[in-house]
Amino acid sequence: MEQTAAFEDDRLKQALTLSVTGDAQAFADLVREHQGMVFSIAYHFLQDRSLAEDLAQEVFLELFQSVNRIQSPAHLTYWLRRVTANRCIDQGRKKHRRREMALEEAPEPATVSGHADPMLMERLQQSLATLPEKQRLVVIMRFQEGLGPAEIAEVLEMPVNTVKSTLHRSLADLRKGLTRKIREVRYAFF
Amino acid sequence: MHFSEDDLREALKRKDPDEGFTQRVMARVNQAQPGNKTVLAKKPNGAFLSWLTHRPAWAMALAAMLLLAFGIGGYQYSEYRHAEEMRIARARQQQLQQEAERARDQAIMALEIARAKMNHVLQHAQLQAEPTDKSRRERL
Repeated sequence: MEQTAAFEDDRLKQALTLSVTGDAQAFADLVREHQGMVFSIAYHFLQDRSLAEDLAQEVFLELFQSVNRIQSPAHLTYWLRRVTANRCIDQGRKKHRRREMALEEAPEPATVSGHADPMLMERLQQSLATLPEKQRLVVIMRFQEGLGPAEIAEVLEMPVNTVKSTLHRSLADLRKGLTRKIREVRYAFF
Repeated sequence: MHFSEDDLREALKRKDPDEGFTQRVMARVNQAQPGNKTVLAKKPNGAFLSWLTHRPAWAMALAAMLLLAFGIGGYQYSEYRHAEEMRIARARQQQLQQEAERARDQAIMALEIARAKMNHVLQHAQLQAEPTDKSRRERL
């Protein structure tokens, strides 16, 4: 397992070195390796596949122009997360999205995962879309990327304590949002 | 409805973009490549601007510092100009005073000369008038 990780790291290091020299194939390998991460952050934030794809393309275009400043595969991952998060916030401002939108206005998620409760997954994604931008990003970084509060603080340029409190508040808001939605469904039926 | 952190992880599972994403990115990269050099040349400025746009507080602080620096610079320049004008005015006043003193000395000297000449003429006139008085007394 460790050997595979080391091999993977070496492969990325090599791709990074070659990308700096202008090797298009190596750069394409970097894109392929990180497209899932970048696209998912954008998709979970924007809840729109086409907007997320545009944003992800912009991020990789920016990477192409700044690849000579990237020092290591770990730095690349950090850089991509940070740039994607910044662009997500910019995109949100451009679209004049409200900081919080009503649960009913949240777009329907395009895909729902296989083995988990599909209704719960759908509601969770809808509730996430109602969170303010920073809260949404903190939740995405924590539960999509699996980052700890210190790493989230670094990526989003926030104090660690703020990250912790934001995370706590976001989970409470998500629970509140879900409960409200369920009550509405019950009233509609009974 | 309750959810666990695992549910949230499941809901936020990574998703792949549509087929051909890498090719679409590479096509855009190739499009951008001819103008790439200029973009790279301008990078420090652009990077700084983008850094600033994400930090409005820093941008405000920078603007305030620039304003303060210009204010202090402007004030110091006006002070310098004022001091210079005062120095020139003082020098000019000193020069006028010296000229006035010189003119006064010349006027005094001229008056002295005139007084001496007048005395001389008066003495001359008195000496010429004296024998006439003597003869008049003799006649009487």
